[in-house]
Amino acid sequence: MSSRTLDYPLHEQTLGNGLRVLTSPDHGAPVVAVNLWYDVGSRHEEAGRTGFAHLFEHIMFQGSAQVPTGQHIALLQAAGASVNATTWFDRTNYFETLPAGGLDLALWLEADRMGTLLDALTQESLDNQREVVKEEKRQRYDNVPYGDVMQLLNGLTFPADHPYGHTTIGSMEDLNAATLTDVQTFFRRHYLPNNAVLSIVGDVTPEDAFDRAETYFGGLAAGPVPAKPSNDPLPALSGTERAETSADVPAAAVYLAWRLPPRGTAVFDALDLACSVLGHGQTSRLHQRLVRTDELAESASASATGLIGGSSAFASARARDGVSCEQLEAALVAEVDRLATEGPTEQELRRAKAQYERHWLNELARVDSRADAFGEYATLERDPTLVNRRITDLEAVDADQIQTAVADWLRSDQRATLTYRQEPS
Amino acid sequence: MSSLPQPPIGPPAVWSFPTPERARLDNGIEVLAYPLRGQHVVSAHLVLDLPLNAEDRAAEGVATIAARTLDEGSRTHHGEEFAELLETEGAGLGVDLTLSGTQVVLDVPVSHLDRALELFAEAVTEPALSDADVQRHVQLRLAQIEQGQANSAQAATTAFRSALFDDASRAQRMNGGEADTVAAVTPDAVRRFHAEHYGPAGATLVLAGDFTQDPVALAQRCLGGWTNPAQQVVAPQVPAGTGRRALVIDRPGAVQADVRYGGLGIDRRDPRWADISVSSYAMGGGFLSRLNATLREDKGYTYGVRLGFAPMRSGGTFAVQGSFRTEVVVDALAITRELLDVGSSPFTRAEVDDAVNFYVGISPLRYATADGVADQAAAQVLGGLPEDYLDRSLARLRAVTPESALEAYGSLVRLDDLTLVVVGDASVIADPLRALGFDDLEVVQRAG
Repeated sequence: MSSRTLDYPLHEQTLGNGLRVLTSPDHGAPVVAVNLWYDVGSRHEEAGRTGFAHLFEHIMFQGSAQVPTGQHIALLQAAGASVNATTWFDRTNYFETLPAGGLDLALWLEADRMGTLLDALTQESLDNQREVVKEEKRQRYDNVPYGDVMQLLNGLTFPADHPYGHTTIGSMEDLNAATLTDVQTFFRRHYLPNNAVLSIVGDVTPEDAFDRAETYFGGLAAGPVPAKPSNDPLPALSGTERAETSADVPAAAVYLAWRLPPRGTAVFDALDLACSVLGHGQTSRLHQRLVRTDELAESASASATGLIGGSSAFASARARDGVSCEQLEAALVAEVDRLATEGPTEQELRRAKAQYERHWLNELARVDSRADAFGEYATLERDPTLVNRRITDLEAVDADQIQTAVADWLRSDQRATLTYRQEPS
Repeated sequence: MSSLPQPPIGPPAVWSFPTPERARLDNGIEVLAYPLRGQHVVSAHLVLDLPLNAEDRAAEGVATIAARTLDEGSRTHHGEEFAELLETEGAGLGVDLTLSGTQVVLDVPVSHLDRALELFAEAVTEPALSDADVQRHVQLRLAQIEQGQANSAQAATTAFRSALFDDASRAQRMNGGEADTVAAVTPDAVRRFHAEHYGPAGATLVLAGDFTQDPVALAQRCLGGWTNPAQQVVAPQVPAGTGRRALVIDRPGAVQADVRYGGLGIDRRDPRWADISVSSYAMGGGFLSRLNATLREDKGYTYGVRLGFAPMRSGGTFAVQGSFRTEVVVDALAITRELLDVGSSPFTRAEVDDAVNFYVGISPLRYATADGVADQAAAQVLGGLPEDYLDRSLARLRAVTPESALEAYGSLVRLDDLTLVVVGDASVIADPLRALGFDDLEVVQRAG
């Protein structure tokens, strides 16, 4: 196997106000990616305010002292940019990629809203974006088959009052309850230069990138770093809790859920590879057994979600006509248990690593996702140089480590089960 | 607290879509190789000149089943051994079927290109297409159709194309086939389809990445010896439209309604393509386009709405598309109709400039990676476009004026001719839609 050592250049400085600035020159194309990771996500939300971090992300596009509402995206698009933002359990990130001549504009826009968002905040913009977010929730979750699965699985995997006990989209009730005061408090608490990482990747020299970061962000005031939610991971699930639901879906489905250790640990990497062996791709065990050999399922997969305060893994399958949920569950459990007793074969492990390598090289092939990766590893694991080492780190995981990790964590007697039955339409 | 003024934007760098190295393999396959420094994952697209109208009308879907079964084992490497070998190389193999052609796509780290391209060639030229694998893929496709029908947005897209084209046009029906014809696809039909339609004639191999060896020599070794005297080449069909219709596909209790509102469009070779790209961006492409600014940012009716023109090899379609909560969808359509009628507010110079700057500026990013370049090059082959198409098209975009944008728009977006498909709760929305002027509205019960 090739064991590629990546050497994307990386330069780092911290401004006087605590903003970490990462930059990586790449003159292959006349474009530059700007990416800001704020260390705030849905895990920071308070009771009764689920969905707020994501609603707040929308407010960030509603203007600031010098930027009229909606113009953040409009000005960038008119400069040839692709622009967006995402919210997840552990983060909120804002990013734009554009021709290098627009770098100043991008930094100015990001700095203006980091410094002065509240100057432009109005009840009208909050109300409008609340409706937009509710439409997003309907479109992506409420009006699609199986749209409530993530919420149900999260509820089975983490206690309701745990930072990961609710999904990022939140509830309609909580979205309705959000006030202007909530927006102001959240902004002042989390949107600080010393609670963010700025990555600039592309057609710019490191000196130039640092100078411009200082120009636009250097005058912003630091603030007290917010208290972090506990990162102490919970132990594995202790029993085999079950939930059942039904809806007008085309096929019944079964989902198994586990609690795993946090990302950034060797055991999580081993479990991530285990999930790949189990349920990623055409040669994975679940596909081979449930879809191909036994023809029980129209699809079957497994994946791990790495989070800093404790991860999760889900395995699932959708039933073919005439197959019961009990048959599906038994087959899923049998394959999970077999991995715990036999471990992966050397071939399976090679495949999982080779697939990871291609996935990671593809991620890093683009300046925008490379900037995002630097911001991710700097924010969540404090070390952006891990981006260059991921492939070699995973390469070092051996079959015994995987078998041990599976036997410790991915046990069928330490799982939760969600059964999704068909309700006749 | 600093309050620097808004900085100016520097001049765009000169940029061109890369020019490929061209070669022809011994069997006639055209090779387009794009060496791209720093792109460690090679993207290879084998573009087959195989329009979907080559399928037998009674067994539509056979092309999709054949393509999906390619990597289920070859005559050299049986069954799952084939996929295991391919995945061990870190390779990903996919297929992409459009009305105008089939693509088989390989992504692989450059260090594994040799072996992966050999396996790729095996899948294309000597797939096993066994009875069991074909039958399983038929069942999986039928399950996929059911899942699609249960998804409001997919159901809307499917119903829209079905309403736009006449029955003789392959474009009327899903690329992967409808349930009744997929169910009729047999292993023999799949093997016959492969035997009669997969071959080197008219095929193009696009390769992009940071090659460490001569890609043409490698292509010659893997694919240059492929022959198929039985190959039949079928000319692509020019689809034909029907008259306008207005449909509601009923989903009782749905909290949102999915809208498709549009008609027949044009392809990229039409002289109006640059103009309509600009006017559709101003109407429904940019974030503050007329539709999105009003329906999302002002009214809060939707997560997003757009007007998109989708080119085919000949002709195309266009639609306003979005999801709106049930209570406001009729008002959203009333506003959409008002906005689409640009009579009293023609496109402005500023709108045209913003659209052109967007398209020109986004290109270097979109085509900076191996798969971005290979995707575009393959799309050009399938669209019958020259290799410098993008540079020409950017030059044409820069020449668009408010007047030319309006003229193209007026010739294509004719309000009285638009077809409407709404997937939503008919008991709530059908009568108000009739009252809005869709007095010939048909209500259709959901299939399945």
